[in-house]
Amino acid sequence: MNLSHVSTDLRPVVEEITRRFQGRLESCVAPRANEVYFHARMDLVAGFCAHLYRKWNARLVTVFADDARAGDEVFHLYYVLALDAAHGFLSLRVPVSPEAPEFPSLANAFAGINWQEREVQDLFGLKLVGHPNPRRCTLHDDWPEVYPLRKDFDLKTVLPPFQGERHKFRKVEGEGVFQVPVGPVHAGIIEPGHFLFSVAGEPVLYLQLRLFYVHKGTEKRFESLPLPHCVRLAESISGDSSFAHATAFCHAVERAAGVQAPARARVLRSVCLELERLYNHIADIGAICTDVAFVTANMHAMRLKERILRVNEHLTGNRLLRGMACLGGVRFDWDASQLKALAELVTELRPEFDSLVAMIDGSSSTLDRLETTGVLKPEVARDLGVVGIAGRASGFDHDLRRDFPHAAYDQVKVKVPVYQVGDVKHRLQVRVDEVRESLSLIDQFAANLPEGPLRAEVGEVPADRVALGCVEGWRGEIFHWIRTAPGNRLARCKVKDPSLQNWPALSEAILGNIIPDFPVVNKSFNLSYSGTDR
Amino acid sequence: MNLPALVLQLLLLLLLAPLVSGVIKNWKAKLQNRRGPRPWQVYFDLAKFLRKDMVISEHASWVFSFAPYVVFLTALLTGLMVPMVHTPAPLSLYGGVLAVVGLLALGRFFLALGGLDPASAFGGMGSSREMTLSAIAEPALMLAIFTVAITAKSTDLSQIALSTQSATGKLLNPAHVLAFAAMFVVLLAETGRIPVDNPATHLELTMIHEAMLLEYSGRHLAFMEWGASIKQLVLMTLFLNVFFPVGLAGPGAGAGALGLSLLAFLAKLLALSAAVVVVETTNAKLRLFRAPDLLSAAFVLATLALLSTFLFH
Repeated sequence: MNLSHVSTDLRPVVEEITRRFQGRLESCVAPRANEVYFHARMDLVAGFCAHLYRKWNARLVTVFADDARAGDEVFHLYYVLALDAAHGFLSLRVPVSPEAPEFPSLANAFAGINWQEREVQDLFGLKLVGHPNPRRCTLHDDWPEVYPLRKDFDLKTVLPPFQGERHKFRKVEGEGVFQVPVGPVHAGIIEPGHFLFSVAGEPVLYLQLRLFYVHKGTEKRFESLPLPHCVRLAESISGDSSFAHATAFCHAVERAAGVQAPARARVLRSVCLELERLYNHIADIGAICTDVAFVTANMHAMRLKERILRVNEHLTGNRLLRGMACLGGVRFDWDASQLKALAELVTELRPEFDSLVAMIDGSSSTLDRLETTGVLKPEVARDLGVVGIAGRASGFDHDLRRDFPHAAYDQVKVKVPVYQVGDVKHRLQVRVDEVRESLSLIDQFAANLPEGPLRAEVGEVPADRVALGCVEGWRGEIFHWIRTAPGNRLARCKVKDPSLQNWPALSEAILGNIIPDFPVVNKSFNLSYSGTDR
Repeated sequence: MNLPALVLQLLLLLLLAPLVSGVIKNWKAKLQNRRGPRPWQVYFDLAKFLRKDMVISEHASWVFSFAPYVVFLTALLTGLMVPMVHTPAPLSLYGGVLAVVGLLALGRFFLALGGLDPASAFGGMGSSREMTLSAIAEPALMLAIFTVAITAKSTDLSQIALSTQSATGKLLNPAHVLAFAAMFVVLLAETGRIPVDNPATHLELTMIHEAMLLEYSGRHLAFMEWGASIKQLVLMTLFLNVFFPVGLAGPGAGAGALGLSLLAFLAKLLALSAAVVVVETTNAKLRLFRAPDLLSAAFVLATLALLSTFLFH
């Protein structure tokens, strides 16, 4: 096996794995320096993942299936592990025979992949063995027995009207225990999700989440579009992370094609990612204050957000940065006046943002509501694999911008704020620190903006290439994994939004808190329904 | 009973109450750098609710439809017992203080029943929270009023106002000042204001007063909202005219004196609204379980006020 082009950080891991599992690994391919795939049989999965977790501190970031019956006559299951210290991804690919469509669950060992395993079961009809809660997840209980992500399920299939119960909730009983159902339709402009609180008086005993009300079949849709059009689809996965999702997708395709975006485009991408982070973080800081009825701070924050959105529009023609991303680079260049607007934004935001933070820090009644509320303990966060802002507020020292530098993040040093407390206040604090860091990053990028072309020619990507694209969005890490098909199309696109990983943590963070504190706890996570439901 | 006075006060209560709510909303928006709704928007809202059809849960009983009228009428009736532009008030009677507290409690009782009746989760939560908080707010209110009642040696609100007015020094009496402070906290709690409740929130899980109104629509909602704003005006008037009766016209005042008294009342009302706006803008809402602490503080203040009436007699 030739490992010469595997990165020096990752090589010792690959060598150790190869030695340890000698004879049980069928092959090992390394399409890119930081992306290595092992092929093996199903019985290796548990031992492989457990070993990487114990010995190399690897994180199981995503589990998904791929219908490869056309070529290899089997389904493939992929287990993608991130090695933060070695800055690389190791994936294990195992076959599942269509005659015995079963796979063993790892959810008992890796609680964080609970929903993703069930998603494979729902969408591919591969039955979970040994899962602690193998009920329906992505498709609700009233779906007929269809498996939409199998190749023999036509995208245009019209299903009969569903009947029966959408979801059976667990019963929580006891003297003085009440159920408070909230949703799926909420007050305010947000997407649907059902929260069933079991309460004894005001304290919450148990929270059951039911999401996936708007499953749109996005991953299936990717398989029917020409590659360049898929970028627009990726933008629509989660509206507040349009640019991050589109860029993660572009990264995946560029890696599959063996192309790198030109230096100028990479810097522009990074600036746009930071702008997306800025407007979302500032809006969240305001929204957290609204949820404890400190509306004055929110009005201040909304003003700053609006300022950023207008600059977004000036720079990319769209307030939410849509239409900027494209395969091989970015679509629009910025002239001197646009760069001046960007520089002015940063200069203006610094003192304005400081005054917003001072207003919040100076309001003892607000701090009293935020401190010790909705604590997510670091050990729970680690068990559930919580990522992004919520992870960093609960001791998870990780940021793809630093650990897997994409776009132009290899040219700067990203400071990652990490706290161990895990309450609402510290999820707010992570945002505050990151806003300041973003402002400094934008300054650095704008000061060293290289000249040159905006995009590299991607051309037609050969069939059957696999690639993983990743981006640290404002909410957390976003992954797009693709396998290409003939004719510049995709055979599979797996989208992993950080929300999918973090939702279950909300049920843990709210335990023991009182119901009126739920909105602010929920807001401090601010997870995407659309990114989860897809 | 004086019929023109009755009609005048009735009109004032009905027409002024929505405006006070509107002014507070508008000023809050101004302090938050927003333009905000026009102060008289509340009238349009009420007119709209009165025109609209009602949607009533099939699980609701007669209590649900009965409650809005009880809430509205008790607030109105209470309002007639409190001197607004002149003493005595149109409904002046001995034991008036008890009647005021009792009528408010009756309104609240039906408001809570109305929240519970359609068996929606939010309404029940609102009712339970309202009763929990009022169990502390109500005694504080009573003690504060009793303090001034003892000083005035009368349980008739008009007599109390007259007596407080007769000697300006009484306003600086420690008992009076303490009762005044307790009353202000009770006022914030009883009118569903930050830091106890947030009248502007859309988050059902955090609501107290609004949660009980969630199932109401159309005419019922109009009476609930109108009743709430009248209750707010009544409590503010109680606060202003019984505890701080500066400028209040006495018995047998002429038209000119009455006009002056009305102006003084409006000025005091606006000043009090401004104070409420400032409190609402500069504070976050308390944690639900901390709200009783605040109300207990009001209760303690009122108790001290009562004690000091005897100490500094």
